[in-house]
Amino acid sequence: MYQTSDIRKGLKVEMDGSPWVVVEFMFVKPGKGTAFTRTKFRNLLTGNVVERNIRTGETLAPTDVEELEMAFLYSDDESFHFMNGEDYSQVAVPRSVVGDAWQWLKEEFIGRVMFYKGLPVSVEAPTFVELEVVQTDPGVRGNTATGTTKPATLSTGATVQVPLFIDAGTWLKIDTRTGEYVERVKR
Amino acid sequence: MVPSAALEEHLYPLRADGGLLRTSPEFALKRVIAAGLPRVYEIGPCFRGREAGPWHGSEFLMLEWYRAGAALEDLAREATDLVDAVAVALGKPPLPWAHTTVRALVLAACGVDVARAAVADLSSHEADHTWDDAFFRRWVDSVEPSLRGALVVSGWPASQAALAAVRSDGDWPVARRFEIIVDGVELANAFEELVDGRELQRRFVQSNAARVASGEPPHPVDLDLIDAVGRMPPTSGIAVGIDRLVAVIEGWPGIARGRVPA
Repeated sequence: MYQTSDIRKGLKVEMDGSPWVVVEFMFVKPGKGTAFTRTKFRNLLTGNVVERNIRTGETLAPTDVEELEMAFLYSDDESFHFMNGEDYSQVAVPRSVVGDAWQWLKEEFIGRVMFYKGLPVSVEAPTFVELEVVQTDPGVRGNTATGTTKPATLSTGATVQVPLFIDAGTWLKIDTRTGEYVERVKR
Repeated sequence: MVPSAALEEHLYPLRADGGLLRTSPEFALKRVIAAGLPRVYEIGPCFRGREAGPWHGSEFLMLEWYRAGAALEDLAREATDLVDAVAVALGKPPLPWAHTTVRALVLAACGVDVARAAVADLSSHEADHTWDDAFFRRWVDSVEPSLRGALVVSGWPASQAALAAVRSDGDWPVARRFEIIVDGVELANAFEELVDGRELQRRFVQSNAARVASGEPPHPVDLDLIDAVGRMPPTSGIAVGIDRLVAVIEGWPGIARGRVPA
């Protein structure tokens, strides 16, 4: 069990049947009262954030959460399949768990798969990925004006907004946190 | 170093070289009052263990003053004048003071009348066994985050009297004390002082029983203080946290930047 003195950013705990991670904490103590640690937790399954005041002396339970860097192998109708690079074990992650991360997953990319009580519960793509444009309206040569964009479809099937001079066959660097085009890359 | 550093259950004195460091100048100043000086003050460093956060530090600067014959209302006026003077000296306007009670604040924040509330009315948390446990949970969860502006807050529960006198306020007993709370941060705490030595002894025993029950060492009972308190004239006293005062007036997010060299 964790004490309030163990609370720090990134600590993962089990509360109300869910895994949570500490995102913020602060010592508070009313004049004549006991000390509390005002703690913000983010639910690792839903992303919800709650604030709880934990009194000194109360305990928090550890949670069974493991995060593994895994290589994306292939997808089928139901799942995305990943491989653990250390023991070559494979896991099928249901599409519902992969969520929006499908847009940025290409074979051999290393994703971060989170397991809760042994089951995969979320997938995070690498922060930056390089993907090929497979379809977009013809480029306008020499138009490097910023601010005007058009949609482009990537090899994964995802659609991103790109500048007008981008053509099919161009490789792009994408920031997966925002889903935004960063720059062209040479291949 | 002092023979006894505190009375309150939730103060954790620091030790140095086998002795205790004072948590406030209170015990020493009360002996001076009892010896016949009607007005005393001290400004100096104080030390408290297990307090570390944006608004807490193990060492901080405290101003305390006592006035024999003064009422709590007199000290409220002096203290708010002092805060205003510090604000003006730092190029800020005086504060728009409001006077309120604990009962009114809790009622406004969560619709509970603390004078009639049982433990279950204040908290459903399984770890809250005593009324004070439940009260402080409610205070920290709902009331304190709602506090805005410059407040003089009186009418604290009698169970949180510390070294203050207690009287019945209509239908519930309250401690004769007020806190100055500005934008949710407690800047000062004032007592109409307890002048009954036997009652002080009883509170030492009560506080120490609670400490021992929760595995903490008891505070040494300060017999000189008990003797002095029994000889004190009617007196009011107040303690102001200087680090917090400066930080709040300056709008800093905590006392670390405002650490005043002692």
